Amino acid sequence: MFELRKGIFLDELRNISVRIGEIVEEEEWEEAGPTPKPGIIDLREWDHKLLERYEPFYAPVQDFCNLCTMGPCDLSFNKKGACGIDLRAAKARLVTIACCIGASAHTAHARHLVDHLIEEFGEDLRIDLGGDVNVEAPVIRTVVGIKPKTLGDLKKALEWAEKEIVKVLHSTHIGNEESIIDYESKAMHVSMADHVGMEVADIAQIVAFGFPKAKPDTDLVPTGFGIVDVKKPVIVVVGHNVMYSRPIIDYLEKEGRLDEFEIAGLCCTAHDMTRYNSKAKIFGPISYQLRVIRAGLPDVLVSDEQCIRADLVDACSKMGIPLIATSDAAVRGLLNVSDWEVKDIVEALVSGKLKGVFLPIPEKVGVVAPLVAKAIFEKSKDKKYKFFPSDEELKAEISKCTQCMSCVFTCPHNLRIDQGMALAQKTGDLSKLAVLEEHCLACGKCEQVCPKGIRIVNVIMRSNFEKLYNKTGKTRVGRGPIQDTEIRKVGQPIVFGQIPGVIAAVGCINFPDEMKSIVEILEEFLRRRYIVVTSGCHAMDIGMIKDEEGKTLYEKYPGNFDAGCIVNVGSCVSNAHIAGAAIKIANIFAMRPLRGNYAEIADYILNRVGAVGFSWGPYSHKAASIATGFNRLGVPVVVGPHGMKYRRAYIGKPWKREKWWVYDIKSGQKVFIEPAPDSLLVAVETKEEAIVQLARLCIRPNDTAMGRQIKLTHYIELSKKYYGDLPDDWHLYVRSEADLPLRMREELLRILEEQHGWKIDWDKKKILEGPIRGYDAGFNPTIVEKVFAKYRR
Amino acid sequence: MISKEEKFPVAKRYNVADIQVSREATAVKPAVVANLIKKASNPVLITGGTLLKDPKLVEIAVKFYEKGIPVIATGGSSKPLIERGVKPLFKTFTLHQITQFLLDEDFKINGKKVDLAVFLGFLPYYLSRMLSALKHFSEIKTIAIDEFYHPHASFSFTNLTKDRELYYSMLEELITKL
Repeated sequence: MFELRKGIFLDELRNISVRIGEIVEEEEWEEAGPTPKPGIIDLREWDHKLLERYEPFYAPVQDFCNLCTMGPCDLSFNKKGACGIDLRAAKARLVTIACCIGASAHTAHARHLVDHLIEEFGEDLRIDLGGDVNVEAPVIRTVVGIKPKTLGDLKKALEWAEKEIVKVLHSTHIGNEESIIDYESKAMHVSMADHVGMEVADIAQIVAFGFPKAKPDTDLVPTGFGIVDVKKPVIVVVGHNVMYSRPIIDYLEKEGRLDEFEIAGLCCTAHDMTRYNSKAKIFGPISYQLRVIRAGLPDVLVSDEQCIRADLVDACSKMGIPLIATSDAAVRGLLNVSDWEVKDIVEALVSGKLKGVFLPIPEKVGVVAPLVAKAIFEKSKDKKYKFFPSDEELKAEISKCTQCMSCVFTCPHNLRIDQGMALAQKTGDLSKLAVLEEHCLACGKCEQVCPKGIRIVNVIMRSNFEKLYNKTGKTRVGRGPIQDTEIRKVGQPIVFGQIPGVIAAVGCINFPDEMKSIVEILEEFLRRRYIVVTSGCHAMDIGMIKDEEGKTLYEKYPGNFDAGCIVNVGSCVSNAHIAGAAIKIANIFAMRPLRGNYAEIADYILNRVGAVGFSWGPYSHKAASIATGFNRLGVPVVVGPHGMKYRRAYIGKPWKREKWWVYDIKSGQKVFIEPAPDSLLVAVETKEEAIVQLARLCIRPNDTAMGRQIKLTHYIELSKKYYGDLPDDWHLYVRSEADLPLRMREELLRILEEQHGWKIDWDKKKILEGPIRGYDAGFNPTIVEKVFAKYRR
Repeated sequence: MISKEEKFPVAKRYNVADIQVSREATAVKPAVVANLIKKASNPVLITGGTLLKDPKLVEIAVKFYEKGIPVIATGGSSKPLIERGVKPLFKTFTLHQITQFLLDEDFKINGKKVDLAVFLGFLPYYLSRMLSALKHFSEIKTIAIDEFYHPHASFSFTNLTKDRELYYSMLEELITKL
């Protein structure tokens, strides 16, 4: 930008071209921190601090690397390949790539939305998230250092994220990074960009589409396989970007015909359709795609992007379901009919001349989908909810099985399909097959290997049809951000520990157990008055599982961000509001400045905010970047056993005393502390293990005595309940007798004396010697030297 | 004397796509497992969440303990074991965490590095990743005695999924020969 200086006159500016670009007018809303718009290594120091304590752990799926033409290379036993990379670094690179894919998915989604919405509403559409949200976009404020006020402002955040994603992806090219720590730092960087992308996407759609704005008591919408009225045409939307299918509702409302149709979704588009209009319904997550399609439920299927089956054209065409693909991320080999007349598109799809079309014009999708659905419905009304036309055909299919077990050895869960088939062949009893439905992902790999070509997915679904049909309930519509007023109320009890923790159940459905296990885990925490937050596929699974009285968790517990409540923030991109809530605690309660101040905020969260992410069934690349982004923000994440396949974890070693220290700003000393939390990313095997791990990872160094007492009470109770004994490490978290659970105090003091050699004053029931450190009410921990220096001044 | 065929029964991976290029586990029968454990200087049995669903595996783990093999219980498997009198070395940490500890040169049990880890009662895909980590990044010998053949282990039972009674009898034989 050319600057006019004193003494220069315009007639002197010959041969100079002046271009008026963007006029930068940034309100001085907060003093800028050290890292606005951070580059790829600007937060490296923070990452190294984390990774020194939470050491990367690698569990290779394959022993070789075949990413370049010098390979394939055998990297087993940590050998180096032709390019010089060893197995650990190769795995670090692979995880970085996975995080790049995840971050790109959300950020490209945001780009699609923002560009489209600016075209529709203009750059100046104000960001208004409701009267109770004044700290809008906490992630963008903290990371990018801007305070977006309009849709146009969101573009600046997006531009930053896009640039960083490209830079990190570049680092994964052959011949670049060789240090696992620096690779992990880059994975964290791109995952932080992912959180920015998510926040941009969700804020854009909230303000432009009029989604709920931080409202705790949103509507309840029907959820599950059996939700649609088969006497109406059914429009099914699937994917993650509601931009393309939203006009379906607009069109039908305008025509006054919304009630004549069923509109139901799969995956996050379902959440966002219900946020747009609560007459929409939720079928379920990705594992319900084949269930819904093979049951013949859709009269038309509208796909957009991410987490959609890659055989959608094939699956739909076999059932005579026309497909409308809308996102340029998944054109699916279909003909682009953007410039066709609506009637021609409808005719081509209804007549079957085209199995599907690519139609990236949302307004046209809004008209075409209902017209096609209506016409197809009239043609084939009786096909719905049938996996086999008759019991005889089911029986004939089962009779083909030879128990070769090929299906078992390819099933992600090694489900014993062979045993179910054998029992059904011998006795006609379908019960063993029916049980499999509760676990089945409906991925269809079993059918790919079956030498007899058995439609195994259909057999399993049909065998449990009644239960599957009735596994329906209600999901509370995604509410978006957390209110500032809610943060004001719970900020202190969370930081002091009186609210024992925030459990954020997010992610996919690759559960190791029946779907109801997610509800069993979360209800344990709701009863104990933790705050439970959820989103995405976890949030819709919760909406399917009912108790004996027919109620889901959403109907039993309020939707506030408060103790003993369950908050559905919405779709995948709404996860940014969970990170945002943690950030807002640091800002609203502790008055920590956000602007470009990432390391300080993350350090605050790591040491004070007892929030833990939980992904019981992660499978997507987005889950990898979401989790890694939370890790950089100082939030530990527990994943289900399939999460191992991400190959990398961050696991500390609590027995290494020298790893666990902080600077205490109050005393000015470096202090050895209890290992809290002791892992940033760890996989569990069972629901029992998930519960205990979540409770223990809520403990933070900053807990007050009362807070620690509450957290230890839950941890010890849960360990006794599920592990049959006291935890191995409970004593590490005891700083004084005031930390001990009241009802067990004497018993625990005795154990400390007898088993751990601590000195106890039995008259006063006080601990004299033993803890790693004593309790100090003014303790003010940080692991960042600059933060220590800043607040010591 | 055990014949070569006895030592190395035909193995089929628990998941056909769990591809290997370097070294696959030697498929072994109970007598070989017993000998390996007896020869080890600091063996440990690590149990997983399947014990919560299969009482027979609890019974076997208890017998291991009674034979003097220390037990690390993960996945909540400590509960039925403690009820049967076992005192696990660890019960709080996940297999993920225990594996991270085992990979550390400084991690000792009873004052010594673990040289042999025997795994019982795990989801196959979960255990597989941990066996892979130990294979590539440690000197520890690993033996999987679950019903699925585990290619990443040093030694593994073959697939016994067809015949559960045979699997149980092999576990009993192993205990007898310890």
